[in-house]
Amino acid sequence: MKEKVAITGLGVVSPCGLKKETFWANLKKGESFIEEVKRFDSKNYPSHIAGQVSQLDYYTHLSKRLTKKIDIFSHMALVSSEQAIVDSQMNLDDIDKERVGVFMGNALGGWLFAETELRDMYIEGRDGISPYMASAWFPAAPQGQITIYYGFKGYSKTTVSDKASSALALWYGAKTIKEKKNDYVLAGGMEAPITPYALLSANCRGDLSKNNSRPKEAYKPYDLYRDGLVLAEGSGTVVLESQAQARTRKVPIYGYIEGIGLSSDGYHYARYRPTPENLEYAIEECLKDAGWQKEDVDYICLDAESTEMGDYLETQALKNVFGSKIKDIALSAPKSMYGNLLGAQTALDLITTLLSMQNSTVLPTINYSMQDPYCDLDYTPNKPVEKEINKALIVSRGRGGINIVLAVEKEVR
Amino acid sequence: MNIKEEVKKVIAKALEVGEEEVVDGKNLYESIGVDSTEMVEVCLALGKHFDTKIQANEVNKDSTPEDIVKIVEQKKEGN
Repeated sequence: MKEKVAITGLGVVSPCGLKKETFWANLKKGESFIEEVKRFDSKNYPSHIAGQVSQLDYYTHLSKRLTKKIDIFSHMALVSSEQAIVDSQMNLDDIDKERVGVFMGNALGGWLFAETELRDMYIEGRDGISPYMASAWFPAAPQGQITIYYGFKGYSKTTVSDKASSALALWYGAKTIKEKKNDYVLAGGMEAPITPYALLSANCRGDLSKNNSRPKEAYKPYDLYRDGLVLAEGSGTVVLESQAQARTRKVPIYGYIEGIGLSSDGYHYARYRPTPENLEYAIEECLKDAGWQKEDVDYICLDAESTEMGDYLETQALKNVFGSKIKDIALSAPKSMYGNLLGAQTALDLITTLLSMQNSTVLPTINYSMQDPYCDLDYTPNKPVEKEINKALIVSRGRGGINIVLAVEKEVR
Repeated sequence: MNIKEEVKKVIAKALEVGEEEVVDGKNLYESIGVDSTEMVEVCLALGKHFDTKIQANEVNKDSTPEDIVKIVEQKKEGN
């Protein structure tokens, strides 16, 4: 029998809540948490709306000594990690820290810290830059800070693959549990794109919504009038361990990571192949890896890029793989409520999926009002729906066609 | 305020720790677990406060407040 990888702890830092309870309560309302960017004046940016984290300093457990040395993306990752550790009832005094790994994904790195320090260096010279810059900005910084903070020394990695970064981190972490390289893994992602340069850079992607005058209606995937995604900042972390260990510890299990499907479009550095076969392959591989039949799937958490091409390709891939069975599967994109966290998004998609399983509720895709004839599936528009979910897929696509699909199963005892 | 008190105050402020945590006779690693990047910050803060240049090879994690006072006094005499 194959080793099952259990999820026993959840940690969330998001625009709609800094704890899983608040996160879930807010998502159930089916409201938007997108607002105009508050951190700096971005009115000249084509897209200047976002999902933003507030009250991080209120919820933090970190000292000022540490927070002054790290970028906000590490700060958010440390807060979500602490929540996940507490939630999983890990006894840090009674575990082998050599066998605790950390796997975190992100796409951009820590720009809020980097931008101001580089500015100071160019203005003031060498003495103008903080020595902390060296360890604050780079994509692996949060993984490093988490391992240092807790003294974890197990096999660890940081993954960078655009919007699919944390999907890869979750699977890589799960793999080390299966292969018995780690006893525990903290896995997920963090992203902080709401900074002057990062937002400008993201604007150059060309896939952000410019509906700045109506922020709460801007992220409307699959709708005929969609015009791109809305960025968000935040972090999601889960604790992974073997089913056998979790049962021995007698801790609640949210669910299991059962399979993965990976593929690349191999077409263009930024655009998707204009036909869906590579995404279809990733979905098929995921089902095969999990040992599931198509009719086993109850729910699919969608990628929801909210671009004309992105949503069309995703819809076509689902239709081609599942055929007429797709009508029996609930589909939705809860991220339409709080924004797209790029490299951290799959971590939050996993958490929303697990909470949906726990509460037998499919969260909605909001702002859906007009059907696109090319995106004609039931995306659970605007209101949550009650439904038992035992098996779910999470679709994640990085730019240029990095396709990752995860299979997640509820704990049923 | 004597130089030692000034040194301890500058270190505490630079690293956001309490002044009482920077202890007489104990090196900075023993007293506050200072790391290498923090030592660069400490050297910059001391240099700015005492209007001199203090290099990382002159003051490091093995330095006590008393060692740092000696360095600062030598620098001031040198000026």
